[in-house]
Amino acid sequence: MIHEFLFSFVTFLFIYFLVAVSLNLTIGFTGLVNLGHMVFFGVGAYTSAILTINGVPWYFAIIVAGVVASILGAIIASITVRLKGDYFAMVTLGLVFIAIAVSRNWISLTRGALGLPGIPDIFRNNFYYTLFTIGVVTIAIIIIYFLTNSETGKIFQAIRDDETATAILGKNTYFYKILSVAISTFFAGIAGSLFAHHLNFIDPTLFDLELFVFILAILISGGLASIKGTIVAGFILSVLITLLRFVVVTPELIGPMRNMLFLVILILILIYRPRGIFGRVDV
Amino acid sequence: MVSFEILPQLIINGLIAGSIYALAASGFSLVYYVIKFLHFAQGAILTVSAYIFFLFLNILGVHYILSAVLAIISALLTVWLMNWLVYRPLRKRSATGIVLLIASVALLMLSASLMQALFGSSTKVLNLSKSNITYTFGFLTITFIQISIIITAIVLFLLLWFILKKTRLGKSMRALADNKEVSQIVGINPEKIYFYTFLIAAFLGGVAGILIGLEQNLYPRMGIIIIIKGFISAVVGGITSVPGAIVGGLFIGLVENLGIWFLPSGYKDVISFTILLLFLLFRPQGIFGVKKRDDT
Repeated sequence: MIHEFLFSFVTFLFIYFLVAVSLNLTIGFTGLVNLGHMVFFGVGAYTSAILTINGVPWYFAIIVAGVVASILGAIIASITVRLKGDYFAMVTLGLVFIAIAVSRNWISLTRGALGLPGIPDIFRNNFYYTLFTIGVVTIAIIIIYFLTNSETGKIFQAIRDDETATAILGKNTYFYKILSVAISTFFAGIAGSLFAHHLNFIDPTLFDLELFVFILAILISGGLASIKGTIVAGFILSVLITLLRFVVVTPELIGPMRNMLFLVILILILIYRPRGIFGRVDV
Repeated sequence: MVSFEILPQLIINGLIAGSIYALAASGFSLVYYVIKFLHFAQGAILTVSAYIFFLFLNILGVHYILSAVLAIISALLTVWLMNWLVYRPLRKRSATGIVLLIASVALLMLSASLMQALFGSSTKVLNLSKSNITYTFGFLTITFIQISIIITAIVLFLLLWFILKKTRLGKSMRALADNKEVSQIVGINPEKIYFYTFLIAAFLGGVAGILIGLEQNLYPRMGIIIIIKGFISAVVGGITSVPGAIVGGLFIGLVENLGIWFLPSGYKDVISFTILLLFLLFRPQGIFGVKKRDDT
């Protein structure tokens, strides 16, 4: 019992790590405030779920989930990255509501609000699945780490700090911004796929803002443009909201209390420590 | 295909939805115009006001007029707390618009969780005898509440116009919106005017919350859903233009309801967000806004 609880906690923790680190690539490193990150997470989850339910092997489904999310991300980015900061944030937030409407109404594909049950397990044993998740997420984060230290990563950060200057130096900033979103959404899709195979069930509540704001709280508490910060803050916040389960006695109160806890943490960090724990740039 | 007879009803429904969006958009747009950030927590004001109205009217059995007054007072207190605890400290360290936006979205979601913790996640119906009165004209059906929404919206917009154009406070607000530094030189205290702006927005939000609660019932996430539509309305109308928000609200309300001709009603949100996207890409200043060089 306690083992199963621990495996599940660690699996979720690593999935959140990947979602937050991939979001850090766009918000923290490239300065694109993408509030619709969970759309790509959800698209990955639905893609992988629909494929494996229809008998496609899981290793293929996970890759396709990432690729589909990434292509969608690139298409959306090619339309929206020209918008100014506030407006880019708002359009990407708008995507969340479009995703909710589509996942609820495209019944033949998503079964609407009923959700998709019976998503096959990848491994019979949950312990193996936890190890598998740790492995996939670790590899993904190492790739993102090397990317942010590469020349491409430096260009992302240059765009964040001064886009006009970067363009003057001859870099195609439009292309690099799309590239940043495409890479970020690829890993969001992979994370979504891992999530779907862990829960074995997904429905449109996947796109609810709560999970996103939790990820955003991790990102901002850890500090923008700091992968180490995201991991540390992800661990601390996940432990905090899990401990809350033992403090709050009424089961109906656990959800709202958990949300209030990380929302208050997010607001306090914004006011008193805008660089988070390890951040190098202000929010 | 929908039969032609229901077209007038769709237009009426569009106007009612539009008035609701316009009510939500006007306070939001006013704050953007004067203080220059996306005040999504205006949705929290709507939620708080609607739930406090429910608390006094249905749980404590207070008269509906007194309940409405208390609900509006709670809206004003909420914005005072928000400004004092969150917005003012953020402005003091000159936080960017994006930080204020994230803080504002966090406050909006905090209101949803707080109401869920206090009142539960079930939908609440406001019991007011007047809300059952219905008028029928041929094909058209309209309720007493829907007529009140349209009339209140018109009265509030005239009042807002009067404050902005004819009072000393309105003049200071417009001066600040235009140029903060110069306004300070001529002796306008921005913090004071910002506070009054928040109060006016909260008053609009408080009234809107009560009417929306009567028309659409209460649920913890109501503020999130309404203010997103208010935001779209504000952008479509021209976010720097307060009358634009009203026209934008009516436009979005009508288009969403007439869209039922072509698409299932579940796709209403897709229609409004597509319009938002088209406006942001091709006419970011909106219908009424003035084009500025940093608008896009």
